[in-house]
Amino acid sequence: MSSKWFSLVCLALLLGGCDVQDDLLPSGSDERPTVSIGTVGIEPGQIAADFTLSDSLGNPFTLSDQLAGGAQAADAVVLYFTMWCPICLGHSDHLLWEIEPRFRARGTVRYVLVDYVSGSVVATRSSEVANGYSGSIFTTLADSHQALFRQFDAAMGTTIVIAADGTIWMNEDYKDGSKLSAMLDGLLP
Amino acid sequence: MAMQLAKLAPLVGALFIPLGSVHAASCCGGGSASSLIMAKSSQRMVAASLDIEHYDGLWRDDGHWVPDPTGSDLNQYRLNLGYAQRLADRWQASLNLPYAVNANHYGGVSSDTQGFGDASLNVLYETFDDITCVYQVNTIEDLKPAVYLGLGLTLPTGISPYDDVSDNFDITGRGFYRVDGSLQVEKTVFPWNAAFGYTYGRYLERPVNREYGRYVEPYHKRLGDRRTTMLSFGRSFHGANFSTWTATLAYSDMSEDHARIDGHLDPTTGLQKRSYAFTLAWANVSKSWVLKGTWSHAPRSDDWGRNFPTTDVLTLGVTHVL
Repeated sequence: MSSKWFSLVCLALLLGGCDVQDDLLPSGSDERPTVSIGTVGIEPGQIAADFTLSDSLGNPFTLSDQLAGGAQAADAVVLYFTMWCPICLGHSDHLLWEIEPRFRARGTVRYVLVDYVSGSVVATRSSEVANGYSGSIFTTLADSHQALFRQFDAAMGTTIVIAADGTIWMNEDYKDGSKLSAMLDGLLP
Repeated sequence: MAMQLAKLAPLVGALFIPLGSVHAASCCGGGSASSLIMAKSSQRMVAASLDIEHYDGLWRDDGHWVPDPTGSDLNQYRLNLGYAQRLADRWQASLNLPYAVNANHYGGVSSDTQGFGDASLNVLYETFDDITCVYQVNTIEDLKPAVYLGLGLTLPTGISPYDDVSDNFDITGRGFYRVDGSLQVEKTVFPWNAAFGYTYGRYLERPVNREYGRYVEPYHKRLGDRRTTMLSFGRSFHGANFSTWTATLAYSDMSEDHARIDGHLDPTTGLQKRSYAFTLAWANVSKSWVLKGTWSHAPRSDDWGRNFPTTDVLTLGVTHVL
């Protein structure tokens, strides 16, 4: 193979049909969809559909119970989708040690870990304990059939903030937690 | 004697410089390729290797090791193809492209996905003109090592979280360009060999407007600088028909600083992985063919890593000088 061939291989990699152009030439344009405020959906500004899942102890957890008028009404519900990976645990530790103390004196926030990989309440409980979250501020839900995962079009690290009236304020990756912090700051009394 | 040493020279890059032994998790990318080093006398070389990486637990940010969720079986398989070309007496370049298959099974979900990983281009400068392998040390000059200075570019050809993917199981790359500067020092006093390598990598900032297929408010992100240090010792043995067997033990330490989002440090990032590897390689009499197997192991113990998956990697590879 000559150096010409070597160059051609490099060029083919850059321009080839590997569906890689999105990262080779990344875009910073805002392409978020326009949504109808107040309709049921998953985007910020929309209303979260109600759901019920079991927590890691087998107790039912229903979203509407946590919202205004519910039996355990909170000022905000924070859902964090975890697969117990290093990135996930970095995020949930940050939630536990940085975010929750910052807003502890400002109303009631329900912090919820959504385990979408373990497949059963028992396995979710096992992961919760193994990772040191048993007895913590977190309620850990067993999304055994990934129903909630699909409902919110979630992925590893997806963080959703739901206000007391059911409005979604945030639905995106946790990143460094600054957006979650800003959302709670604007939402809590 | 000079002829025999010239025959030994092709072994330098192929045997003693271990394959990259640290990879990102299949849940967080991976599919990274290692660089090729070609011997002084070689003009062109092709390489192929298969990595079988098995995940077994992870290190928390404080270094505490914890197991994976009950019922999980997480693996990534990578086919790495490489080509190296001599550009001038002291210069060589190489191209590496991995193809990754993620096979992940958790208690509640299974996923098998595949795609190209992040490719890399490397240019290497050799600081020496003559081979530095010796049989005996008689003078100070005999102690002179082979020193390589490298410049690498990792291309985001893999499938990243910022592509149109449904979830993290599809990921085979990290989505960022990275520029690496490397130093590799190697010395052979036959049959013994020692090598040291250090690589410093800087990821380039990029805009992000999509996460796992969903468009989000645009922002800029840069992963943290990456450092990799490697130390290895090896011994060669004569085999049948003048072939050569070489056993090498290597230790590597890879770390990455915190990422930055819109210029602000992300405290949830940063990672480290330490591991050791054993390589057994066979080379034919002309050293034009090298077959090798590497077992890279990261202990399932506290403080061998931080914020990173614990993995073992079995690599089976072949290089051929054209």
